[in-house]
Amino acid sequence: MSPSFGRGAMTNSWSDLQNSECFLIAGSNCAENHPIAMRWINKAKEKGAKVIVVDPRFTRTASQADIFAQIRPGADIAYLGAIIKHIIDNKLYDADYVSNYTNALVKINKDFKFDSGLFSGFDAKTKKYNMDSWAYQLDDQKKPVKAASFDDPDSVFSKLKEHFSRYTFETAENISGIPAAKIKEIADTFCSAKPATILYALGMTQHTTAVQGIRCYAIIQLLLGNVGKAGGGINALRGEPNVQGSTDMANLYNNLPGYLPAPNHTDKTLRDYLVHNGSFQQKHIVSMLKAWFGEKATKDNDYCFGYMPKFNSGVNASMARVWDLVNKGQFKMVINIGSNSLVSIPNRAVVRQGLAKLDMLVVADLFETETAQFWREPGVNPADIKTEVIFLPAAFVYEKDGSLTNSSRWIQWKDAAIKPLGDAKPDLDILDLLYKRVKKLYEGSTDPKDEPIFNARWDYGEEPKAIKVLQELGGYDETTGKVLPTLADYLKAPVGAVSSGCWIYAGVTGNGNLAAKRKNDDPSGLGLFRNWSFAWPGNIRILYNRASCDANGQPVDSKRKLVWWDAANQVWAGNDGADVVDKTKGPDTPEGKQAFRMNPEGIGRLFAAKYTSGMPATPPADGLPPIGIRPAGVCNDGPIPEFYEPVESPTENILHPQVSSNPAVVMPATLPEVQKVGKKQDFPYVLTTYGVTEHFCAGGITRNIPVLNELMPEPFAEISKNLAKKIGLNDGDKVELSSARGKVQVRCLVTDRIQSYKVNGKETETIGMPWSWGFASLSPGPSANELTIGVIDPTAGTPEYKCCLVNLRRA
Amino acid sequence: MDVSRRGFLKLSGVSLAALATGIGFDPEIAQAKGFALKIEGTKKIPSICHFCSGGCGLLLYIKDEKLIHLAGDPDHPTNSGTLCPKAASLRHVAYSKDRVTKPMRRAPGSNKWEEISWDEAIDKVAKKVKDVRDKTWKATEDVVNATTGQKETFVVNRAEGIAVLGSAEVDNEESYLIKKLSMIWGTPFNEHQARI
Amino acid sequence: MLFGQPKEGLEMTKKMILVDTSKCTGCKACSAACKEWNDLPAEKTTLVKSYQSMKDFTPNTYTYITFEEKYENSKLQWLFRKAQCFHCSEPACLKACTSNAISKTDYGFVVIDREKCIGCGYCVENCPFSVPKVDKVANKASKCTGCTDRVENDLKPACVSICQPGALDYGDMDAMMDKAKKRLAEVQKKYPMANLYGEKEMGGTTYKYILLDVPKAYGLTANVSAPLSLTLWKDLIRPVGTWAMGGAAAAVLVGVLTNAVKGNYKKDPIADQSEPEKGGKH
Repeated sequence: MSPSFGRGAMTNSWSDLQNSECFLIAGSNCAENHPIAMRWINKAKEKGAKVIVVDPRFTRTASQADIFAQIRPGADIAYLGAIIKHIIDNKLYDADYVSNYTNALVKINKDFKFDSGLFSGFDAKTKKYNMDSWAYQLDDQKKPVKAASFDDPDSVFSKLKEHFSRYTFETAENISGIPAAKIKEIADTFCSAKPATILYALGMTQHTTAVQGIRCYAIIQLLLGNVGKAGGGINALRGEPNVQGSTDMANLYNNLPGYLPAPNHTDKTLRDYLVHNGSFQQKHIVSMLKAWFGEKATKDNDYCFGYMPKFNSGVNASMARVWDLVNKGQFKMVINIGSNSLVSIPNRAVVRQGLAKLDMLVVADLFETETAQFWREPGVNPADIKTEVIFLPAAFVYEKDGSLTNSSRWIQWKDAAIKPLGDAKPDLDILDLLYKRVKKLYEGSTDPKDEPIFNARWDYGEEPKAIKVLQELGGYDETTGKVLPTLADYLKAPVGAVSSGCWIYAGVTGNGNLAAKRKNDDPSGLGLFRNWSFAWPGNIRILYNRASCDANGQPVDSKRKLVWWDAANQVWAGNDGADVVDKTKGPDTPEGKQAFRMNPEGIGRLFAAKYTSGMPATPPADGLPPIGIRPAGVCNDGPIPEFYEPVESPTENILHPQVSSNPAVVMPATLPEVQKVGKKQDFPYVLTTYGVTEHFCAGGITRNIPVLNELMPEPFAEISKNLAKKIGLNDGDKVELSSARGKVQVRCLVTDRIQSYKVNGKETETIGMPWSWGFASLSPGPSANELTIGVIDPTAGTPEYKCCLVNLRRA
Repeated sequence: MDVSRRGFLKLSGVSLAALATGIGFDPEIAQAKGFALKIEGTKKIPSICHFCSGGCGLLLYIKDEKLIHLAGDPDHPTNSGTLCPKAASLRHVAYSKDRVTKPMRRAPGSNKWEEISWDEAIDKVAKKVKDVRDKTWKATEDVVNATTGQKETFVVNRAEGIAVLGSAEVDNEESYLIKKLSMIWGTPFNEHQARI
Repeated sequence: MLFGQPKEGLEMTKKMILVDTSKCTGCKACSAACKEWNDLPAEKTTLVKSYQSMKDFTPNTYTYITFEEKYENSKLQWLFRKAQCFHCSEPACLKACTSNAISKTDYGFVVIDREKCIGCGYCVENCPFSVPKVDKVANKASKCTGCTDRVENDLKPACVSICQPGALDYGDMDAMMDKAKKRLAEVQKKYPMANLYGEKEMGGTTYKYILLDVPKAYGLTANVSAPLSLTLWKDLIRPVGTWAMGGAAAAVLVGVLTNAVKGNYKKDPIADQSEPEKGGKH
């Protein structure tokens, strides 16, 4: 979503779902994996809202649908492309919105091409794109050139129209297995309802075409004018209790807190970093360095920028790839806090082998996860495993102070309710102990590499207090040492005068601990709840809400007014905080027109062009490279979505057989004997994996809760009645599922909730298996990730858990 | 009436026994039997659910520092006291006999855990961090420039041998310190579940 | 708090719980909440069919969800039903109980007093829905209590409080019946076969259902009533037997009558026909 809207977060909130007239739930099984969603969806349904569910299986969410369509896993872009074509062909778009708030009219570089499955700039050797041609036409001030009408052949709108012209309902049916009439019914239903929202989760992200699928959602919602509105938007339902927070805090190798890019090897100095990432980041990275190194970070020493390790931009070190690097021998030590890779990483043989190559594995968790006791997995001889393992017992959520950020971006504080069990400690204490002990070990060192450890600002008390860390995130006035009152105070302070560990949280502890606010009033009735906790950015509850107004700054939906320009007081006022550049800049100013202020263009991006705002018209006189204000987010596999087959597919790509799967995807080959791609002749069925209501993710906690094991006692393979008949299986029979990478034995659940379907005229079968099991816990069971494939999306790095090929036989 | 007859006879027997124990039935005893609410006299502390990203409010009922009941927080605007089955079962985690409550070490080649003290555990991990950091430190790196084809040397200041995984399962403050600590030690290799 | 002695200020009107299956997502939170509130241990299970993990009630499982998959004309309906004691107006279990352990509260909930229960199993045999179960070790019958301890303290039953999709609703019988009928009319627009179950059954039940399909599709029987044999036994034969028991029984009856005077037992016509009062008249 970031390349489309500027922020990679759910646009609206749980309680906002009640405002919608129509839901497209596609790539989310929210009734099972985000049960709270149904509370708000059902409120909307009572008022007449329609629910469309698209899923490879008839799920518990589908049981609530007005329209259900069974899709082949990984075929989303085909039917979404057809919906985009339908919107354009039938002029169902919101023309005012599209021209005011999107880049539809901007002209695209004449070198941009799309031909036979490849965008311009593809390098077949590196499997990477040079994105130079995915750019706007710029005027002599380096500003994007706008066309006079949508019909201009160079306009983004024309490019979209041309690109999606191939996506007819019939083509979409052939690819996705959804009947053309049903796709049309979905398109008609969704496009005729305003506001309408889209819900997705891992069902969309766990593909090698994940980012492009989400881009389809963004294009649909921008065309229909649904973004920035109550009851609209794109609700990306995040998977874990604090995955929004941990993404904000950047537990990601290529990010720093607050969505700053992490420095890579080409960033020798802070200036280099700004050349690559724009001057917009200067304030934020300096504030972060001040939070990390305090008074040691000065203008003269580049604010300690040199202390930061630089990743090699040519080496992908994303979560699934970390295990390739372990197998290559790079990592000797893995410190694993609250994750269970041996269950959760695709093609788990890679993790199993990798763990055995480490010198030391450190696990901080509540229960003995599979990862922690990999050395005694059935079939493994502990004597052969030389890895030393240290297990650190961690405290549970209600045994410690701290905050969690939910999918609505609400930063919610909670106090410890009880003491940690036994000798368990909060992870905060564990990290504090580690910092202090390592520092002590280095005492007396004069090696420059150890300077960051000595010079770090690390002052959370003898017994560390979470509130002190939250205050570091909320920021300090470095000249007075006082906490920053608000985000505005942070933004107006000069560079280097303030610190904030994560600038989007600036002000969270300003006037008391705002994350702990507990007033649940809702004066607008729109479910904004602005006095409950604190939402980043600046307590705005619906992102991009400037787009809920017309060009004059007045709400277009009189029933759902979020913000408006108050001409009398010359300010953006409203029920929500206005998501605008400056609250005092009216709709007649350039700032006041911007509905997507986090994009360098200030508008929504139908076409994800390579673009940096604020580039000087002439290069700097000192000969140094120029610094722009802000580069746009781009997708590594194209500026417009294109359908590609999953890496393991039961059919060929009928749009361009010569480029079947995503050309920018690389199959890892660290362990050739287990990292294999299967052929459809050997593995004729499509496997999709998922969670169930009763268990959570890798099951590390839920499989140790007896009641949940009672409610969902075992994993299973869901198969259609057709397939059961073909193989001669009865419900409950034990089957063996095998892929090119591994096999598992599990009971089969024969069901009408999966039907056989036709893809390119050929009968096709999907098999479903939940993935939350492993060999440990009170409820052990086979892991679906024994079978899955470790290929990842070229932009987001998310593995293709949702589709691989398998065979099935009676066990 | 066959069934009825048999039932009558059967009842005569058990019924007599029951009635015998029923002698002296005292309503005061019935009152003392525990129909009082089990949450009476508890302190209520709100918290946040630890499963999906709904961020539903929990309400913990504490008596004598013990968690005796867990329910949805009725004041929380997102869930108004409702919960999913996972959250509704969360009290179990507080006193689960399967929780690990002491640091443990599994020695190379061993087939079992041994309990160790926190001091020993932190010491072992810290020493290993220092050891791996010192041995795998990469001050500079040679990278081939894609456009020129030339090898160039870059300052990278990396502790190449340490990866830190985590976490979307911990609080913001902890997640932030994971990142900060990794970077201070010199490892950019901090990843987590957001990507999987 | 004592059964039948609600918190001061609470009106003692008949209550109703509406299970609106059109909103149920089969998430099973009601099961988990029931176990949490009642401190019931978990059971070892395997999947029975579809996503259903319990075949039947047990002494430790008062509620579970049934899962039925119905595929017709290329359309699938996944029918979820929360099963628990219906809390009948004319409870067969109460009639059958040999030890006066079963009573009905002012709110309409049918409760088993474990102190008095002797585990004879008559309630089990006579319940048309086979709800009560006898724990063979403790020799006590148990079933859903309607969270009587909660409702008489002005809290909703645990299952109702927890329900996220809003499939469970609780309130005064009359108001809830209005709600149910309005909602039924709404649901019937999409599901023509939808019906209200529990209105006539067993004299009307406390838990009523909006079902999306005929009761049979959920494994339920329509218009079920207490078995004739039970009525005969209860109302004709058993009173005579009690009379014949003499002194020991009379001692108990005094105790029960004392309670009745205190308002702990019902003035309900069904309760009035029960054996203590009748016996007392002899």
